[in-house]
Amino acid sequence: MSPSTRPITRRTVMAGLAALPAAGLLRTPAAAQAADVPLGMVLPFSGATGPYGPDMKKAAELVVQQVNGGGGILGGRKLKLFIEDSESNPTIGVTGTKKLLEVNKVELVGGFWGSPIALASKPIILAANKVQMVSCAANAVTDGDNRGLVWRFQAKSTSWGPAGAKVMASIGAKKVVVLAQQNPFVVAMIEPFKAEMAKLGGSVTDVVMYNPDQPSYRAEVEKAFGSDPEGVFCLSLLTDFASIAKEVYRGGFKSKIVALSIGADAEGKFLQAVGPEVGEGIYHLQPAPPLESPAYKTFVTEMGAPAGTVFLFAGNAHDQICVTALAMEHAKSQDPLVWSKSIPLVCNPPGEEVADVVKGLEMIRAGKKIKFVGAGASCDFDAKGDQINRSFLVQVIKGGKNVTVGVIS
Amino acid sequence: MMSYLVTIVIFVSIAGLVGLALNLQWGLAGLVNFGVSGFVALGAYMVALTAPHLGWLAATLTAALLCAAVSMALSLLTIRLEENYLAIVTIGFAEIVRILLLNESWLTGGALGIADIPRPFASLTPAGWGDGIILVFALVLVALVYGLMEGLVRSPFGRVLRAVRDDATVAAALGKPVLALRVRAFAVGGAVMGLAGALHAFFMTYIDPSQFTPIITAYAFMAVIAGGRGSNLGLLLGAGSIMLLLEATRFLKDLVPSIDGTQLSAMRLALIGIGIILLLILRPQGLVAEPRRTVRDVFPDATGES
Repeated sequence: MSPSTRPITRRTVMAGLAALPAAGLLRTPAAAQAADVPLGMVLPFSGATGPYGPDMKKAAELVVQQVNGGGGILGGRKLKLFIEDSESNPTIGVTGTKKLLEVNKVELVGGFWGSPIALASKPIILAANKVQMVSCAANAVTDGDNRGLVWRFQAKSTSWGPAGAKVMASIGAKKVVVLAQQNPFVVAMIEPFKAEMAKLGGSVTDVVMYNPDQPSYRAEVEKAFGSDPEGVFCLSLLTDFASIAKEVYRGGFKSKIVALSIGADAEGKFLQAVGPEVGEGIYHLQPAPPLESPAYKTFVTEMGAPAGTVFLFAGNAHDQICVTALAMEHAKSQDPLVWSKSIPLVCNPPGEEVADVVKGLEMIRAGKKIKFVGAGASCDFDAKGDQINRSFLVQVIKGGKNVTVGVIS
Repeated sequence: MMSYLVTIVIFVSIAGLVGLALNLQWGLAGLVNFGVSGFVALGAYMVALTAPHLGWLAATLTAALLCAAVSMALSLLTIRLEENYLAIVTIGFAEIVRILLLNESWLTGGALGIADIPRPFASLTPAGWGDGIILVFALVLVALVYGLMEGLVRSPFGRVLRAVRDDATVAAALGKPVLALRVRAFAVGGAVMGLAGALHAFFMTYIDPSQFTPIITAYAFMAVIAGGRGSNLGLLLGAGSIMLLLEATRFLKDLVPSIDGTQLSAMRLALIGIGIILLLILRPQGLVAEPRRTVRDVFPDATGES
């Protein structure tokens, strides 16, 4: 039984592999110290929505730094942020959520780019009596009895449709076709879009649906653009819209395109993928951050981005952590069932407008009534937990750049 | 912490059930099935649609029966094709299922999926113990299926399946009904995949088409390869270690602050890849090799060479 005679063996290898999780589990409970306030986020770093994760993470960490640098909350307690990768997949999002809730004992699970992931994680978060903050649009997320624990930092799907119809009307397209990906957030936009088009004197002649992750979109593009409509409302995400735009360019179709910025901009990734010729003349819209507000401008500088950059999801992640810190301070409690009730009290008017989270915390401590204005939105909420008063920013691609056309409210 | 471990054990059980099924189809009978995710999805949706009306037990059985029937039909469809074409047909099947689930919104809720799937014994469970019941359900299911599979492996049916896998012509020459055997093996495997889907639906209580991506198929093959093709015990170990490796790497970034989420997400999958490659180099037969059976196993008194 001399050790030297043992082969280097799969036993050793497997023992090592098997010990890995055990080692991880043993160490972690120490990670969140008693005095810290642990917060969690489920963000995409890989998969179809992977491009958005890093900026959302950076924005959330920025707030944590500011709050902790300003002395923390609840009498000097520090925020501690834990982030899990959803891999753009609901099942993985659920295990990530579970880990945050059980191992890191977080009071908030935020982030959530993508409605299926938010919907799959929602029952678990509600069962644990914690707060869920999402950055996704499907109406179903805030439907049902959520006991005031689910908050949407995003415009609802149904409000995106009418905004698209207004853009169509403003560029003079009356007979239009919808080309849309089969996806919960997009599907909910179509009926409101049709209704608003009819109201504005136009008509939707056809709706062409396609499945995500197709190798080619030629058939769908020819069906949608073949009848030569005046405009096509392209409800696509980044990867499919890049293929669709190239297909339209190749086919030489002349219809005007109105798309979603998550497809036709994606924080600059669309133009990187297709180049300026293909992108030329495409209109796109998204729920706008308050671009002209000092709060948003400061945020862009803090993110280290050039002035004028339009962050959508990063701003929402920023606001989620800010609102959490402010609401906890207001409620003088980190119990989610208590501080969630403070969310509308620090976000909705009346109150003195404040954008800086540290300043907001000071004002709350001084007993002032505040109204938080975020970097992603003005952060007004209705009774269901949906953000209201979100305006849409319309841009057009000209010469390889996004040029602002206007804001629709 | 407990409840997180419970979650992991449930996901390991789901992966284990899928793996056991694939181990029967591919490991024992040599039938390549690349449509695993389709069968799991079918089982999950069947449960989601029928559980509110029939109750959990009937819904689970219906899911298993439906998947068995569909498997049977699918393997019969490929009767005249060479066996490798089964792989192509099954890939096609999984895609068809995914696209149907995504587009037939009157039935499946389309991309929005189905929410509020009732769990077994929900009314009897004290609050906060919901996952515990599913855990028991999962473990019982795995134990039953493991027992069934081990029984099959040792039975004459298992022996003749191995014979068909190793050389179908010889088996046929000895008068074994090769086609019927294959169809049966495929159907039993399909039923177990349906059960795995049922467990997934009960645990998640919300399902949508994006939960049933081909990655399920990939993990199932990894589990079978890592565990040892043909060995059910090895399979359970394989499925367990792959899921544990996937989850354990989550903790890397909490322990090593220099790794951020972006790097970790890339690294985690790379680590799994490296693990599999190492395993295949160091242990090509898998964690637990398929037991070699000799004449003596069957006829203890035989004197001949095996």
